[in-house]
Amino acid sequence: MTIRHHPSDETLLRYAAGRLAPAPGRVVATHLHGCPACRERVRVFEAVGGAVLDGMSPVPVVPHALARALAAIDAGPAGRATSLEGSSTPAHGAARTAPPLLPDGIVLPAPLRDCAMGPWRWAGFGVRASALTLPEDPKASLLLLRVAPGRRLPEHGHSGLEFTQILSGSFSDAFGRYQPGDLTEMGAEVEHQPVVDPDGPCICLTALEGGVLFTGSIGRLIQPFLRL
Amino acid sequence: MLDDAAIPAGAELDRLILAIAATGDRQAFAHLFKHFAPRLKAFLLKSGMPPGAAEEIAQETMLAVWRKASYFDPERAGASTWIFTICRNLRIDHLRRDRGVFVSDEAIPEEADESPDGEQLFMAAEREAEVRRALQGLSAEQAAVVRLSFFNDKAHSEIASELGLPLGTVKSRVRLALNRLRTLLDEQK
Ligand SMILES: [Zn+2]
Repeated sequence: MTIRHHPSDETLLRYAAGRLAPAPGRVVATHLHGCPACRERVRVFEAVGGAVLDGMSPVPVVPHALARALAAIDAGPAGRATSLEGSSTPAHGAARTAPPLLPDGIVLPAPLRDCAMGPWRWAGFGVRASALTLPEDPKASLLLLRVAPGRRLPEHGHSGLEFTQILSGSFSDAFGRYQPGDLTEMGAEVEHQPVVDPDGPCICLTALEGGVLFTGSIGRLIQPFLRL
Repeated sequence: MLDDAAIPAGAELDRLILAIAATGDRQAFAHLFKHFAPRLKAFLLKSGMPPGAAEEIAQETMLAVWRKASYFDPERAGASTWIFTICRNLRIDHLRRDRGVFVSDEAIPEEADESPDGEQLFMAAEREAEVRRALQGLSAEQAAVVRLSFFNDKAHSEIASELGLPLGTVKSRVRLALNRLRTLLDEQK
């Protein structure tokens, strides 16, 4: 699988800095899961974070901070982490049994397996949509969309950045052709009209920065699925 | 932006964490604490946290360094980078608790789990040296733009007000600074 479309450096930097909102963060995490090149970029930006931390002018901590830390270490129930710790993640993927299936037998990607998947509902224009609920932010809007082969979505813009990761199938717009593993990042200023390629349905994961509105007729289509 | 002379060498900080992992070395922890706790606090204050919370997260980060020391792998990330990522996750966790959502830090998958076995990793020491050289190659303003990206959620608009620049100008300057950083990193390959 050749990945042709990647998140921008700005987005990867914000992800590494912990500054991307939960829903766009999950779209990026899903991309990273399949993209070694972007994982390496994130490591580079984390190293930038390490350098920024090292370069801070120290601000004195309270006088007894170290003594308090040492006392907490002595009193701590766990002491240093053992193999037990870190494997006890009841709320997260590892504890689940079978990962939920998407339509057409697609498996929900690992970075989304702790999300609750809403029912698939028809939204018109050949689109079915399912809302994912994030444990870390139940109000965040993260959508799975399944668009029928050959369907042309209404031309639309949005009031913030739109992040879309292709899980299966493919679509094209004026800016390129997007295939599984690709991530598209559409700026607010951009209007685009995606057309799903005719050879099969396209399943993608979509988040809008800040959960802001789509504009145009796709807005009315998608709006009921967003928690606004 | 970076004053390498004033800080212990990365490898020395790495060794302190490895000593905690190997023998629960409290002396090593005290050294690490003296270096990182005041920098973590400064970093969190600059991120807009109130002083009480900044103190608390700096403390929590250092306690996590103690607890998780056995997970530290200097071939994946240097000490400062590893501690930065712990602090980043605890800060996110703290903000969630403030919103009434509890997801324990232990439940946040370690970044390390992302990489399948056998992935060709650049050696961390090499990556970090390259990053620091590249950062020093940025202009003062470009370095400031990159640094501010770590402190502000609404990156562009807040950077704009902080640098006293129009929003559109900042957007293009962030892009330019990151392009420059990428060029400087690529040149070292
Ligand atoms: Zn990528």
